[in-house]
Amino acid sequence: MHHVKRNRQTPEALAEKKQREKSKIDEFLTLTDDVLSRKKKQEWSNDAFELTQRLLQINPESYTVWNYRRNILLNGIFPQSTPEQINSLLSNELSMTTTALKANPKVYWIWNHRRWCLENVPDGPERNEVPSMEWRQANWDKELFVTERMLDADARNFLAWNYRRYVLANMPTRRPEASELAYTSRKIGANFSNFSAWHQRSKTLARLWESGQLDPIQSRDDEFELVSNALYTDPDDQSAWIYHRWLIGSGENKTQLEREIQLIFELLQEQPDRCMESLVHYKRLLLQNHSPDSQTLKQEYQDLSLRLSAVFTVLPYCAMVRVAVCSNTPVLVDNALDTCIINKAGTVWSHN
Amino acid sequence: MLPTSLPLLSKGGHATHCKRCLSGLPSSQVDIDPAKLALSFYCLGSLDVSGELEKKTRDWEREQWREWIWSQQTREPVLKSKCVGELSQSPGGHYGTGFRASSYMTTKHSTEEYSGHDNPQIIMTYTALLSLSILRDDFSRLDRKGLLKFLRSCQNIDGSFSSEPLGGDSDLRTTFCAFAISTMLDDWSGMDVANALQFICSCRSYEGGYGQSPFGEALGGTTYCALAALQLATKQLDPLSLQDRQKTIRWLVQNQASNGGFSGRTNKDADACYCFWCGASLHVLNAGDLIDKAAMTSFIASCQFKYGGIAKIPGEHPGTPFSNPLTLQQTLS
Repeated sequence: MHHVKRNRQTPEALAEKKQREKSKIDEFLTLTDDVLSRKKKQEWSNDAFELTQRLLQINPESYTVWNYRRNILLNGIFPQSTPEQINSLLSNELSMTTTALKANPKVYWIWNHRRWCLENVPDGPERNEVPSMEWRQANWDKELFVTERMLDADARNFLAWNYRRYVLANMPTRRPEASELAYTSRKIGANFSNFSAWHQRSKTLARLWESGQLDPIQSRDDEFELVSNALYTDPDDQSAWIYHRWLIGSGENKTQLEREIQLIFELLQEQPDRCMESLVHYKRLLLQNHSPDSQTLKQEYQDLSLRLSAVFTVLPYCAMVRVAVCSNTPVLVDNALDTCIINKAGTVWSHN
Repeated sequence: MLPTSLPLLSKGGHATHCKRCLSGLPSSQVDIDPAKLALSFYCLGSLDVSGELEKKTRDWEREQWREWIWSQQTREPVLKSKCVGELSQSPGGHYGTGFRASSYMTTKHSTEEYSGHDNPQIIMTYTALLSLSILRDDFSRLDRKGLLKFLRSCQNIDGSFSSEPLGGDSDLRTTFCAFAISTMLDDWSGMDVANALQFICSCRSYEGGYGQSPFGEALGGTTYCALAALQLATKQLDPLSLQDRQKTIRWLVQNQASNGGFSGRTNKDADACYCFWCGASLHVLNAGDLIDKAAMTSFIASCQFKYGGIAKIPGEHPGTPFSNPLTLQQTLS
């Protein structure tokens, strides 16, 4: 293979290497046979438990052995353990799988085992003879911390973000949504380009608006301020523009729409492509939602569309320009305008 | 700006790279063993799409590969009764018939029936069928009825499909495989189509693309899976309104970077494989002419490795050819 170093080895050294490999293979096959036959006999011993660990270290994809391990816990070990011991065993399982995940971050069955462990932590310890939720909460809190470490290593790791959403949704005592908002602020503050963090923020806000914990209008105003900081810092940043468009939504709020259009006009000189594209879209929303009969507005919109069509710099933006322009409804763009745009583009693009 | 001439596509080099991977991989690639069948498909696919399959491979090799793929077709165990009225325990479960990745889970000579720890897998089944098509098999050995049962046993309550009947990843990738398999069988009785379509729609993000699962950010790969699945099932992408389509087109188009390559997500760098995932998605939406083809081709060309294979970005090693045939397809189309 081209990226494997070729070492010159003597025939004896090669033979020895092959023998070592063969021993390893034989050992693995013997171990596998042993584990699977004990599983078939439904053996739930500590020995069997130990063997599954050895096998899973070599082959973490073996879902059947993960399953066997869980059955050993449920049928063999747990019935002989106190709740405290069970909690300790499950914490060990979580540590073991953390190590496994470092080497195999995408193996579904490891994540699956972690979820099972979390979901089976017993109630306890007892406080005033009543079982508390402390063990559960401690394990789930730790799990959230695991996701934070993963996101520190790679802030765009979408599997880690997905898992974080799972942890937050299933914790015994749910964290307030506001704390997740704060987490996304930290991540966005660290890097405005981190779209995964903006995305998480949008999901969190949607829940806060729905539940009435935050007033959607005031909150959106706060968000517009946040995203405008990002836009002024880097007017070319894709994340900020998408988030901005999400905030605008279908443009029902006239005040916000007009204010944001003004803001973008100010940015126009810095970033003609993205600004023009958003301006055309937002002007159209203003026209459609609030003043469909305004001839002045219609004229402004058509002028902007023409200016947009003249922005043929880097082709990706050209394509976006064509998408933006041609997504106009026929009633707002007349044939003359269409033809003008098509001629400038030099290609024909049908918007049917 | 259009380049005046593009670098040559090193078809021969890529074909040799794929042929090498089909012959064997170094021990550093051992964690790919659970996806062996998929890897085989990517190699065969690359050879096929570039017209090099018959040139670079022999009849007996193709025959050997066909036999190996068929040996991964596994059925549910037949219930054996010791005497009338008594049924023996069947550890394998009853999930129909499908293809497993390879024999990596079994220590003995592989059998036709699975035994609970070497179940068929949906992605491997999808790639098996495609590989056999490339190898011009007549499919007389395919257990179609069993395959439909397998699909049914993989579908979840939310409409998605799991990679295996016992669980595993369940998202748009595995769901797309179910749609593709049903299309190839020309039989949709293996799934609750309406429920599956509803799951696909639930993965759509406000960006216009589709995440791997609900609430996720849009990804190029899963956007392709969603759109392709919708087209396979509905022909006209019915669940999508005009506005939806435009939004998706907009997201896909803005993923083409200034270097010509496509990125897979908002604000990520370009990667050769997304030239396919995003490019093909645009074709599905009849918006392929919005791609700056010259720039994209130039980017892919610059990802070619001198000893064969296409890396994800210029200057890197290609590794295994998981995305080779897809990027080749984009270049050749």
